[in-house]
Amino acid sequence: MSKPIFELVDELPTGGITVMALRSLDFVVPGQWQNLVGFNHTIQTVTGETDESLIQQIGERAVHLYNDKSQGYQRALWLYQTVDSASGALGAAAMANKVGQDISFLGFLGNLTPKPEKAQSIDLCIKLVVELVAFCQINGIPGDSIGDFLAALGDYSGESLMRMAALVCFDGLIPLGPDFILKGLSTIQGTSPAELEHNQTFQGVRDLIPGGNAAGQLGFITQSFDSVKGWMGDFVASRGLTPETVVDHLTQFVEISKDKLDYLGAFMDIAVKYYSHTGTQTLARRLIERAVAEL
Amino acid sequence: MLFPKWRRVLAPLFLSLLLLISSCALKPPSPYAQAQQESTQRGAQPAIVKNAEQGSSFNRFFPKPGNGYERVFTQEKKGFAEAKLKKEGKDLAMLAISDTISLPSASQKFQTSSQKISGYPAVEVGNTQTAVLVANRYQVKVLSRNPAFTQNDRQAWIQKFDLNGLSRLK
Repeated sequence: MSKPIFELVDELPTGGITVMALRSLDFVVPGQWQNLVGFNHTIQTVTGETDESLIQQIGERAVHLYNDKSQGYQRALWLYQTVDSASGALGAAAMANKVGQDISFLGFLGNLTPKPEKAQSIDLCIKLVVELVAFCQINGIPGDSIGDFLAALGDYSGESLMRMAALVCFDGLIPLGPDFILKGLSTIQGTSPAELEHNQTFQGVRDLIPGGNAAGQLGFITQSFDSVKGWMGDFVASRGLTPETVVDHLTQFVEISKDKLDYLGAFMDIAVKYYSHTGTQTLARRLIERAVAEL
Repeated sequence: MLFPKWRRVLAPLFLSLLLLISSCALKPPSPYAQAQQESTQRGAQPAIVKNAEQGSSFNRFFPKPGNGYERVFTQEKKGFAEAKLKKEGKDLAMLAISDTISLPSASQKFQTSSQKISGYPAVEVGNTQTAVLVANRYQVKVLSRNPAFTQNDRQAWIQKFDLNGLSRLK
């Protein structure tokens, strides 16, 4: 059986590489993310209620809602967790690919792993689509409504906005460079359904991506990315974000030598689990907001 | 003596270490353990019952935005719809309608209330919530998310819902 929601929220780390990497992005979305952990503490912070027995009632209702599988909360958490671990596997493959390029006798590795840039681009697109699908699982706007998602993106705040900042910075700017949006879009447009099926991140989450088969899913991913590219472009431009500014802030929080930047994207993929971390926080907040309103 | 002195010390030392480790391992049960068990055991009652109203049918009864107030719909699930009330970019309150058919205790709390808003039984919950019960079934709640949004504001905004329309929802 999967872990109870109160344990997942109680066990969220207060330190470590994921938390430090996210803290380094405070300059991107100032004050938006406080790393809210602990189930009861989250209830108090979200609702503003202080009475212990009321907090207990809210928590119990949230537990019941989470455990009702028809409500989609468990699927959303599964998506957040799976996209992290699947892209971690991609990171490992990309790392092997780098080694393959550097050391000739391991050159054969280059044939076994996808080209990092293409894999990273697909990864970026899939993570964005996972955000869309998880959003709909949690908040219940019908599963393929991109318009509602865009309206809600404008209202993204707190840990959800931080997750999008991390997506743009850690899965866009760092591995793909300043023109990551164009690269992402042209890559996904030039990808065949068969290639998509070989992407590990896609394999992890494909069961919950709308579209029916790989070709339909590819269409959904392409359309989604195309719709959100304007928002991402504004996000980057209005904050003056570049790979250099992101790396500068990151290296203040996480020990990474700048001469190993080639490996940085792959390293982040393996070590930083920001989707699970902030996804659990988003899910807890929405569950609690619903629980308190229903009581 | 067969054993040197340090070995005699060793046994009690290990024993107390063992006790220490095992006492750390025994976490107190979570205050939510019972709710967890109730909601995951075989034949558990679902949190939302089958014949609960669709959240989408609640949307049209929400207060309209305007006068500088923004309304952003945030959740629409079976038996539940919620919107955020904002002004000048700041969150003021949450507005919600839920179907108490899934949670009878939610409607029972109105039975002891003598307060009414727009003719519907009303209650205050905790420090942040004002609620009315419509048609003995649908709960309408306004929840403050900003200290400046007071109980008076909550009562005023609850009256901006189309409560009579909601009471006719079939």
